Amino acid sequence: MVSGKSDYDVKLPFFGLPKLWPYVRGYRGWILFNVVCATLASLIDSVYPLFNRYAINHFAALHTTDTLPQFIALFVAIVLIQIILNFVSTYFCGKVEMEVDRDLRNLSFEHLQRMSFSYYNQNNVGYIHARVISDTGKIGEMIAWRMLDTVWMGSYLFFIIVVMLRIDLQLALYVLTVVPAAVLLITLFQRRLVVLNRRIREINGRITGNFNEGITGARSIKALVIEDRINDGFTAETANMERTSVRTARISALFTAAVTTMSSLTLAIVMYKGGWMSLEGIMEIGTLSVFMNYAINMIQPIQGLVMTISAMIGIQVNIERFTRLVETEPGVTDTPEVTEKYGDIFHARTENWEELKGDIVFDDVTFQYPDGTEPVLEHFSLNVPYGTNVAIVGETGAGKSTLVNLVCRFYEPTEGRILLDGRDLRERSQLWLHRNIGYVLQTPHLFSGTVRDNLRYGSPDATDEEIREALRLVSAEEVLAKMPEGLDSEVGEDGGLLSTGEKQLFSFARAILADPRILILDEATASVDTLTEKKIQNAIDQVIQGRTSFVIAHRLSTIVNADVILLVHDGKIMEQGKHADLMRRKGMYYALYMRQYEDMLVDEVK
Amino acid sequence: MTQKTAFESRTSLILYFLEGSKKYFAMGILMTSLVSLVDFINPKIISYTVDTVLGTEPSSLPDRINAWLEGYGGPAFLRTHLLYIAAAVVLLGLTGALFRFGSQLFNVTGAEKLVKRMRDALFGHLLYLPYAWYAENHTGDIIQRSTSDVETVKMFLSEQLTSLFRTVLMLVLAVGFMLSINVSLTIVSCAFIPIIVGYSFFFHRHIGSTFEVADEEEARLSSITQENLTGVRVVRAFGREKEESIRFRAQNDKYTEMWIRLMKLLSAFWCTGDFFMNMQLLSVLALGSWLCAADRLTIGNFIAFLAYNSMLIWPVRSLGRVISGLSRAGVSIDRIRFIMNAPVEEDAPDALEDVPAGDIVFDHVSFRYREDGPWILEDISLTIKEGSTVGILGATGYGKTTLAALIDRMYELPPENGTITIGGTDIRDFKRSSLRRAVGFVLQEPYLFSRTLKENLLIAADDPDESSLAECVSTAALEETIQDFPEGYGTFVGERGVTLSGGQKQRTAIAQTLMKHSPVVIFDDALSAVDAATDAKIRAALKKNLNNTTKIFISHRLTTLMDADEIFVIQQGRIAEHGSHEQLLQQDGIYRRIYSLQSAQEAEW
Repeated sequence: MVSGKSDYDVKLPFFGLPKLWPYVRGYRGWILFNVVCATLASLIDSVYPLFNRYAINHFAALHTTDTLPQFIALFVAIVLIQIILNFVSTYFCGKVEMEVDRDLRNLSFEHLQRMSFSYYNQNNVGYIHARVISDTGKIGEMIAWRMLDTVWMGSYLFFIIVVMLRIDLQLALYVLTVVPAAVLLITLFQRRLVVLNRRIREINGRITGNFNEGITGARSIKALVIEDRINDGFTAETANMERTSVRTARISALFTAAVTTMSSLTLAIVMYKGGWMSLEGIMEIGTLSVFMNYAINMIQPIQGLVMTISAMIGIQVNIERFTRLVETEPGVTDTPEVTEKYGDIFHARTENWEELKGDIVFDDVTFQYPDGTEPVLEHFSLNVPYGTNVAIVGETGAGKSTLVNLVCRFYEPTEGRILLDGRDLRERSQLWLHRNIGYVLQTPHLFSGTVRDNLRYGSPDATDEEIREALRLVSAEEVLAKMPEGLDSEVGEDGGLLSTGEKQLFSFARAILADPRILILDEATASVDTLTEKKIQNAIDQVIQGRTSFVIAHRLSTIVNADVILLVHDGKIMEQGKHADLMRRKGMYYALYMRQYEDMLVDEVK
Repeated sequence: MTQKTAFESRTSLILYFLEGSKKYFAMGILMTSLVSLVDFINPKIISYTVDTVLGTEPSSLPDRINAWLEGYGGPAFLRTHLLYIAAAVVLLGLTGALFRFGSQLFNVTGAEKLVKRMRDALFGHLLYLPYAWYAENHTGDIIQRSTSDVETVKMFLSEQLTSLFRTVLMLVLAVGFMLSINVSLTIVSCAFIPIIVGYSFFFHRHIGSTFEVADEEEARLSSITQENLTGVRVVRAFGREKEESIRFRAQNDKYTEMWIRLMKLLSAFWCTGDFFMNMQLLSVLALGSWLCAADRLTIGNFIAFLAYNSMLIWPVRSLGRVISGLSRAGVSIDRIRFIMNAPVEEDAPDALEDVPAGDIVFDHVSFRYREDGPWILEDISLTIKEGSTVGILGATGYGKTTLAALIDRMYELPPENGTITIGGTDIRDFKRSSLRRAVGFVLQEPYLFSRTLKENLLIAADDPDESSLAECVSTAALEETIQDFPEGYGTFVGERGVTLSGGQKQRTAIAQTLMKHSPVVIFDDALSAVDAATDAKIRAALKKNLNNTTKIFISHRLTTLMDADEIFVIQQGRIAEHGSHEQLLQQDGIYRRIYSLQSAQEAEW
């Protein structure tokens, strides 16, 4: 897992924009278009006070209404242009934002489909999920809105400065003396606020964590009678939150006060100098009013620009994480020759795919997990002819999945090779292999959708008849019969509307329906009721007929008939043989079996 | 700590939450009013300067101020001393800045105090809710209510309400000042207000549901991603990467299009708003110019009026959104009220503090979780002798845990369903905290807190001392595990720390409970993930070190229970048989069947 703290300190050249460029190039036309629109819009915004000036200097000062119709017509025309401009620029800006988001999301999602399992083991789902959903969103927002804001504010500032300089050079220069001071002041405040706001977010995260702990740990808290203690810890955290927030508020309030004072100062300069100029007859009243208007409105875009810069600094971390994700090489890749012949995951060339029989040979395999410190397999050889049932047993967390991971080519051996029907696994594509494998997980995973969608997951063309046949084979017809809409019933997110046992049965049926040559079963440890357990056991016996199969077993009673049993301890294969041999040896397998046997007996008494 | 009032209405809950922060909000509002007032004086200075100082018009300021100014030389003096006017502007600016500072600070302080009070109240309330409540409510939902709903209510009280107030105040002040300048201009200016507010209100009300739909589409996209990531093995094993990508793309497109459509609506809304605003400005400009031309308005006043007008326009534009957002807060308050109104565990005022030593007796105890549910326990009568070791044997899901949970009153036993006594006193007469302190309970799936191992071990200890900790750790066979961690006792565990195995967690929980030094300890399948050898080691240590403690072991593993003084076999919620290991072997019952089956099996090999 990547620690959250150091992530904030990412510093990239030019806010990481060059790194991002290859991914957003396609939008350069639209981005340019938005820049032009924003510039024009800000130009018009900076022109409005000139209408005030004309009204005052001409109509009010000269006591005439001669050009009023033209005045109104011009005003309306400008307003209409501006409205169209604003509409076009905000709409297209939003469109660019959403489309950049969409493309970055697609890119990262598709890249994740190729990413090796070691990546998934090193990063938890929440972390990866945030990369796909939130990083991309922040980047899109920056590309579109921050860009628009920066351009708008920058050019607005530029235009009003130009207008002021044009109208009256001297007064304009007086006003502009405020700008450097304002920039400096705002930058200092902003920097301090960014740090404090980050701290607030961290405390906030801890408070949410506390709620989580108080709620999921409720049973333990009550049993230990530590409600008061936990509560004290919580109130200390919320007090910390209040303190930090109020401190931050003090600074940000001071910030606001400073900014408004800046505006007043500018206004005072204009009134003092401009007033004098108008008394001297050098400046008209309307012009003075324009200056006053600009003086009040000048500080805001400066503030906006500084805030945008600090937002861009904040977004570097998202850019860094995103580019790191899409630039990480998948650990297991097919060679160009293999891809040439068999195709890749998005363009399979099924016409070149061979039939698979299912003879597997581990040939002097040594394997170490990419994040591991020592090999878990050393010079391991095993011959698994077609139709063999291999059982892998051991304590929870002993590393029973290793062999299965290698057979599925989720990982590749560090040394040695695995032969499938006499050929190295690496000589054929991953997709070809996976389409020939059926995998039933320990914690059955279903996707939201209907029962039919889920069962057809591995064989999209299966007919309802075939689906029902598969369900019958695993004795799950009753489960289906209970469901109100039959195959069209929704299973809910992650199969949430079904019980674990039901999910287990469906995932069996799903695997069978794909008619795989190699079957991998990771048995359920979750307590399913005896009846369901019996059904699952029967299903297993049915399904492994005529296929090469690997069963990762937690209940030894289910695998006594396996052709070969491998006992794994601390990641290594300690014992190997048939049930009777292993029992006679009175080693680890024997001990494990005896312990579970007791449990089983007790349960049988129910 | 806990508070006893049930909140019958939204208002009562809001008022309860506002306690302690009300005065800050009041001060914030006062300051905000002062800010507005100061802001409104500025244009007056400008108009006075333009008309009377720079021009020749008579002053439009109140007479009293004119008189005061005349005392210093009036406009003539100021004409040669413009710096004074600039100074007045800066001074006013500083005063305004001071009030702004105050208003923001008071408002945020109020908001933070409010949030603290809400969170503390919620968390405090949650902690003391009965365990049964947790079984009925989803964790994710409770957390949602405690975090985002709290945030919504905070926004409502500290921002939306205050901004509503500020806007109305601004409106009243601006209209007042504007009226003092020119009535017909004010009418033209204000004529647009209902249009702008109404338009914005209806738009937000209409678009609110579209936002919800967009949120749902996002949630769907998010869960497709989530499913793909958690099911990555299934996806790979079935070679369905392409189809998954197509599915993701389809939803991604749908979501994107939804938002682009929303953006179109929003852009149209903003632009139409701009149009109204500019039309209003144009009307004011045109009428003002005409009035000036007709000598019915001075230039200075015209400038001032334009300034008031521009101050008015933004708050008015946001008013519609604020009003339409109000209904959302109501829903959140109700969701929080749901938690705050759930009754907490409450002890009778005369509840007993001290739990005496003595036998634990179940007298015709029956129990079911719901009124209409099936009976979990039926007519259980048993006696657990003080200081003895008792085993409870039974299959998974057949009431063993419920039986134990009744002893420390995790579930309340209704009076008509029998009684449980300790030392002759009904456990319902004790204070719950005293009872639970006297009865230690080790769970099968214990929860470790996000702290160091040591803090976890000491979390329930009253007076933690090192020797006692060492003893408990040794009894729970945890020493080696701790030594194996590079950071030993300082190892951070729990949600954000290192992951302990099931057995390590269980042993930590045992040591944790032993640190309570309770006279009764229940081990609820607390050794299920521990291997057989360690299981035996822990039981031996418990026997030796906790000689006088009443120990209750719940298990479906025979060896764990074999050396208990008395074993109760629970079958379908009833006691099927009981006695010592030897006695049970004499009877021709379940226990013997299990035992002999096992021996026979062993002899076979």
